[in-house]
Amino acid sequence: MRVLILCEHESHGIRLCSRSAVAFANLVAEQTRGSVECLLLGHSVAAVAQDAAAYAPVLVADHPALANPLADRYAKVISDVVKQRGCDLVVAAATTFAKDILPRAAGLLGGAMASEVIGHEFRDGQLCFRRPLFAGAVVATVALHGRPKLVTIRPSAYPAAGVRAGHGDITAVAVDEGILPKKTEFEALQSKLSNRPDVTEARIVVSGGRGIKSSEDFERLVGGLADKLHAATGSSRALVDAGITPNAFQVGQTGKVVAPELYIALGISGAVQHLAGMKNSKTIVAINSDPEAPIFEVADYGLVGDVYELVPQMIAKLDGAL
Amino acid sequence: MKILVPIKRVPDTDQKIQVKPDGSGIVTDGLPFVINPFDAIAVEEALRIREKSTDVAEVLAVSVGTEACEPQLRTALAMGADNATLIHCDAPLDPWNVACVLRAYAGRYQPELILMGKQGVDDDFSQTGQMLAALLDWPQATFASKIEFLGGGLRVTRETDAGLEIVRVSLPAVVTADLRLNEPRYASLTSMMKARKKTIERIPTAQLGVVIEPRLQLLGLEAVPSRRKSVRVGSLDELLVKLRDEEKVL
Amino acid sequence: MNLFPNAEIIVIGGGVAGLSTAMQLAMRGQKVIVLERQRLGCGSSGRAAGLLGQLRGTAEHTRMLADGMEIVKDLEQRAGVEIYVKTGSLRIAETPERAQEIKDLVAMGKSIEFNIDHISIAETARRLPYMKTDDLIEACFSPTDGHLQPAELVSAYHKVGKGLGVRYEINCPVEQVVIEAGQVKGVKTSRGEFHAPVVVNAAGPWSYLVADLAEETLPTAAIGHYYLTTRPDPNHPVDRLSPAVRNRHHRLYTRPESGGLIVGIYEAEPVEYDMEKLPKDFDMSSMKAGRDSMNVALLIHLAQQRFPWINERTPMTISTGIMTFTPDGKGLCGPLPEVPGLFHCSCCSGHGIMQSPIVGKVMADLILDGKTKYDLEFMAADRFHDLPGYQERADIKRKCYEMYASYYGRVERPNAVAKN
Repeated sequence: MRVLILCEHESHGIRLCSRSAVAFANLVAEQTRGSVECLLLGHSVAAVAQDAAAYAPVLVADHPALANPLADRYAKVISDVVKQRGCDLVVAAATTFAKDILPRAAGLLGGAMASEVIGHEFRDGQLCFRRPLFAGAVVATVALHGRPKLVTIRPSAYPAAGVRAGHGDITAVAVDEGILPKKTEFEALQSKLSNRPDVTEARIVVSGGRGIKSSEDFERLVGGLADKLHAATGSSRALVDAGITPNAFQVGQTGKVVAPELYIALGISGAVQHLAGMKNSKTIVAINSDPEAPIFEVADYGLVGDVYELVPQMIAKLDGAL
Repeated sequence: MKILVPIKRVPDTDQKIQVKPDGSGIVTDGLPFVINPFDAIAVEEALRIREKSTDVAEVLAVSVGTEACEPQLRTALAMGADNATLIHCDAPLDPWNVACVLRAYAGRYQPELILMGKQGVDDDFSQTGQMLAALLDWPQATFASKIEFLGGGLRVTRETDAGLEIVRVSLPAVVTADLRLNEPRYASLTSMMKARKKTIERIPTAQLGVVIEPRLQLLGLEAVPSRRKSVRVGSLDELLVKLRDEEKVL
Repeated sequence: MNLFPNAEIIVIGGGVAGLSTAMQLAMRGQKVIVLERQRLGCGSSGRAAGLLGQLRGTAEHTRMLADGMEIVKDLEQRAGVEIYVKTGSLRIAETPERAQEIKDLVAMGKSIEFNIDHISIAETARRLPYMKTDDLIEACFSPTDGHLQPAELVSAYHKVGKGLGVRYEINCPVEQVVIEAGQVKGVKTSRGEFHAPVVVNAAGPWSYLVADLAEETLPTAAIGHYYLTTRPDPNHPVDRLSPAVRNRHHRLYTRPESGGLIVGIYEAEPVEYDMEKLPKDFDMSSMKAGRDSMNVALLIHLAQQRFPWINERTPMTISTGIMTFTPDGKGLCGPLPEVPGLFHCSCCSGHGIMQSPIVGKVMADLILDGKTKYDLEFMAADRFHDLPGYQERADIKRKCYEMYASYYGRVERPNAVAKN
């Protein structure tokens, strides 16, 4: 299969998550004796192209009209490249960048798309994909009909590709501004004060309870761990009542109901009110100094200890691991 | 201005989802179905736009699927949508199929704005709105957390990984609703009484000239085991190893 | 004296009734095991609003609740949590009949030296600035009322019980009550058999099904209940110590919660449940009201009558759960004649949270001493035994539903209301 990777980049190079997409593409190319190429869109991205070339040959669509990732323009360029080069499979990491753009490209390319892929296999020579449904409670195996096929993959499912021997070629893609859609204009990007996802949507939620004594501690411990895991923050009602966390953070019967893949409860005793809001989480971790806390009865993994000691250690260990 | 709000019927995800023994689908017996939460946000936004503006002629809720979709269209009506249409289709539908049907319907109905949820909370695709925008050759603004009308177009704040992105799109456009866009209302007694009197228009898919050709074939489902392990770990290292190697969540 | 020295007692149900009973038995040195079908407090207890109104219809009932408050104080100390929030409570009236009700209530309260008095409408408005008061003609205030925080109460019973050696088996539904020679011998569960000379049925809405297993008839029915909790609104601040209010004319009760307001109603057409028809793994804490639920629309409508700033667009959470009602709205405590050793402790008709502290004590006394110091006739489990009209399920259900519906008095039907 001829596999095209839609790369997402930061100022200096392609994002780590795109290297996971490269890893997926490499696997499929190996298994099908195919080839991989990266596609990079943007403006003044020569340095990024150099970085991307360390992983695969690179196609670069570099044009002022592509300075910002506007879905209609990007999808148009992507679909033209895919058609011109006869790509069989297009892959990108499942981020808001690709989730916005790739389905639109799929709309221009016949609609064979699967998002949030966490695994793939060949059944009777047919490439099939595994993807979670119902917020991770169920996994589906699906086949795509039509060519090209487009997928977004979860970076956690494919360890990032390493630099490969030799340097890939960098080829410029001609961009004809005249045929680009102009119905969308970029106005601004405001970095969020908190870049954390919403608690009901996040794959991982770190939540704090009565064991956390102040807003500062909450931010340092719960927020610090959440940032390390790209997780959302939540809290028990006790902290909302104490004015330590805002109302929007409350997980529980009268707050938000969440079901993430991983729920980490820090200093939460596990009152029924709270359990009603998180009991359907796939994996629950509880850290609490009280060995009798009811949270341990619903947790998959319980660790007895002081969150003030353990959480900073955990953050440090994750720093080392990632 | 007419606003079209596509509605999806989904199982209430606060309930435990069980997979049929043969993996062909989920067990739906006794499972409550609701209007997709993101679609309810889209309905709410359409209603707020109508309440603020004098030139919104109609908020129309539309579903593609079987007769089973009627209660969710009724929910949209009870919330305050002016009318509802059920585009009847018994075949299983993937995002591409729904986008094709909605494109055909939009061609007939001619809305200025299609407001829909950013994803269905059942199969979590997040594809239909973008595909629909591509098929219509309309601009799109996905994951919207704020919508303003400005100079004949929209100024939309989008929730992205990089932060809040503000884009301007001309109309007609497809906008998909994110969680923070608003908090949907409950139906009031008066709107429920009004909604009861409304009839839901039914259109067979064939009448729109759309042939359903699946792009995405379901080969099987597996439940992800959720039985609590209740393991007491002795140390942080043990915990991290479990989360990384056994649960594969880190 | 202890009628069952050294024996382990089985309590079916890990809600407040069962947990309180188990704790009280353990306080008297008894071995106890609590069998809970899912998780502790995940049934009606976890869904309750937890209002405490101590002035009941009889002096005895009022005295019991006052004694229950001593138990709560003790629990708070032992468990180190705040369970009771003393806010005071108001009853308000907008019609002459309701005003008379309040006058009678104040007179009755004073006759038994309960702390209650009339309060002016101006003072009512001062204490509850977020409530419409201009149509009120009478109000009374009980300063010692408030609410118990259900989640904290469950945690405290569990914590104290655990410290006293109570065993808790969760995810352990009871499938059979084992009876030999007419006497309880234990129960069969999904996780095997448990033996005991005494079994306490504290299964809440499921309690009539447990009684069925022993071929006893427990006159209770399961009824849906709804309340809303508004999110904090800077335009309508609700102090966490604002008084609770009961407004029978609009069928509603209210209390502060996390900067917002809880408003619940006892509607005239309740949602009926047959617990036997629910899925085996039914989880009450997953119950959710639809956006177009008639009950929710009615709840919001009635809430708006008293709190005009609440409407269908107000950011709020709707909580819904299942209550247990009896034909006269009083609890059912004690044995029935058929099966010695089987005790019932259930069905507190919307008073489960506030009655649980004293009911646990009463149950422990009944079981271990065969008697209690209170005159318990009004909530004796056997008061409907052999009473004509209370033997068939359909009759029992109808009477319980009528009790629920008349609980806060009649009100206009939604159809009539919507025309206004």
